[in-house]
Amino acid sequence: MMAPRLLQNFNGGRALVVVANRSAVEALEMTLAKLGVTAEYPEIVEMRAEIDFATLNPERDILFIDGDLDVAVATEPDEVSRLPLVPVIGLVGVEAPSRLKNLINLGATAFLRKPVHGAAVYTALFLGINQFLLRSDMHGRLEDMERRRRGRRSVVKAIVALMNDAGVDDDEAYDRLRRESMRSRLNLEDYCDKYLSSRAITPSRTAHEQVSSAQRADRK
Amino acid sequence: MPSKHYRVGVMFSTTGPYSVVARSMLNGALLAFRESVADSSDTTIEPVVVNPGGDLARYAELSQELTASGIRHVVGCYTSSSRKEVIPCFEKHDALLWYPSHYEGFESSNNVIYTGASPNQHVLPLVSHMLANVGPRAFCVGSNYIWAWENNRIFREAMTAQGGQVLAERYAAIGDTELQQVVDAILDARPDFVFNTLIGTSAYAFFRLFRAACRARGIDQAKAIPVASCTLSEPELEEIGENAVDGHLSSSVYFSSLDNPANAAFTSAYHAAFPDGPSTSADAESSYVAVKLLSRALVDAGTDEVAAVKHAVTRQRLKAPQGDVWIDPQTLHAWLTPRIGRSTEKARFDVIVEQPAPVRPDPYLVQSSPRYAVSSRTPNLRVVR
Repeated sequence: MMAPRLLQNFNGGRALVVVANRSAVEALEMTLAKLGVTAEYPEIVEMRAEIDFATLNPERDILFIDGDLDVAVATEPDEVSRLPLVPVIGLVGVEAPSRLKNLINLGATAFLRKPVHGAAVYTALFLGINQFLLRSDMHGRLEDMERRRRGRRSVVKAIVALMNDAGVDDDEAYDRLRRESMRSRLNLEDYCDKYLSSRAITPSRTAHEQVSSAQRADRK
Repeated sequence: MPSKHYRVGVMFSTTGPYSVVARSMLNGALLAFRESVADSSDTTIEPVVVNPGGDLARYAELSQELTASGIRHVVGCYTSSSRKEVIPCFEKHDALLWYPSHYEGFESSNNVIYTGASPNQHVLPLVSHMLANVGPRAFCVGSNYIWAWENNRIFREAMTAQGGQVLAERYAAIGDTELQQVVDAILDARPDFVFNTLIGTSAYAFFRLFRAACRARGIDQAKAIPVASCTLSEPELEEIGENAVDGHLSSSVYFSSLDNPANAAFTSAYHAAFPDGPSTSADAESSYVAVKLLSRALVDAGTDEVAAVKHAVTRQRLKAPQGDVWIDPQTLHAWLTPRIGRSTEKARFDVIVEQPAPVRPDPYLVQSSPRYAVSSRTPNLRVVR
């Protein structure tokens, strides 16, 4: 599997900067402009940043969140993966563990100290966005592993069934199932699931099973 | 009696491994200081010249001394490592460094005015030219520091994206002149051309060794394996010496052979002022431009306060020896005119490619590089049965 490629040119990006005091981030906006990234400042209404999450695009948007604000961003990522919708870069004023923890919980993958110094911005974007991409990729792989783990039972059952049906050994049964799953453009687990269910409705299966169990009984 | 007097620092390593270029830079700057006396009657600008001798620690110390003495503007630095060394001092004291050399980009300090070329003005035009006219296989050789590393990365990505290939990258310490192994490796690899980011004495030794090795094997080096650089200038051609001087390609915004009235005036004034050399170069012109812009901005602003001068400099448009030059307000880098030259036996360059107008600086290559980093390794895809 290929590792995600590094993003290094941020031209065309949009920064959503959730901050109470804009004077601390003047250098941020100036440097973002040099990098081809526009800055927008979502309004904070009743301790809540007004961001339309449906329109957020991880290919374009970057969220900068001031860790000193007690503002809900409502992007509360999944508790386990802490994967936000778009890359999050924390703006750090008070360096207290509680504040930093909030930013970690929001899924921040890079930090900028307030007042923001221009020379730190490219590094923060580079780390923040690429760590987000790496984490997204890792999350995708984990989900795939979970799916495979759940499908493991079907695979084992399908191998056993095919061994019985076709009189082949387990390696051959596995190879056939894998080949057929590729041919029908399904992953192995889904294909085995389908194979078992379509096989279950074949009446001959029961007959066959009855015969074989009868034969086995005979031999005893 | 003049009403305003400003002291301006001038910091070049006029001794040490890259002193030839630095001395031509100092000359370019001094020429502009002399002209500024004639330009304005009520403002005088006094250059305070220091020499760090190519020692990184001295750069930081001297910057500290200059700024502590009340100087707010310093024209100086040639290598990127020295610039990176002094920037913290300029930011701390809110002084302004006028950096007059081409460099690898990916920087835009608010305390630096960059009058030399950005990567979109030197390496990218060179890549297009080499791929279209010479061939797709390059061998990179450079001095072991940030200029060569980063310039080679930009070069490799641009080459790979356009179907070219980098066969190998070799680095030597600044000042290292024992480069026979690198020359042998190049002759083994037989690239279409060499991309050179060696600086100073290492570069001169390389050009001589490489030409000699090719000659010994009956290879016409300039035709068969040309060397392309973004640094090579006229005083350096003189250092290389007559046996190996011709047929090298250089991507630069200035060549002393440019045919226009401003350059004629510049080169004749320069030679009259500094008959012992080194001759004019892109870095000398860039230093000249830096001091010209600085003195005009000082007069225009009426003060040497950094914010006012920074604002004033973006209003200047200079008829420079290379053509019109002005400073981009967003990045504080210069609009410059890229060219490619081929060196002659007389240690000058024939201009073979020239942009029709000044090109906007793009220090972070936001307009001119791919979104994702390009990998030059073989892709992780195999044919499976």
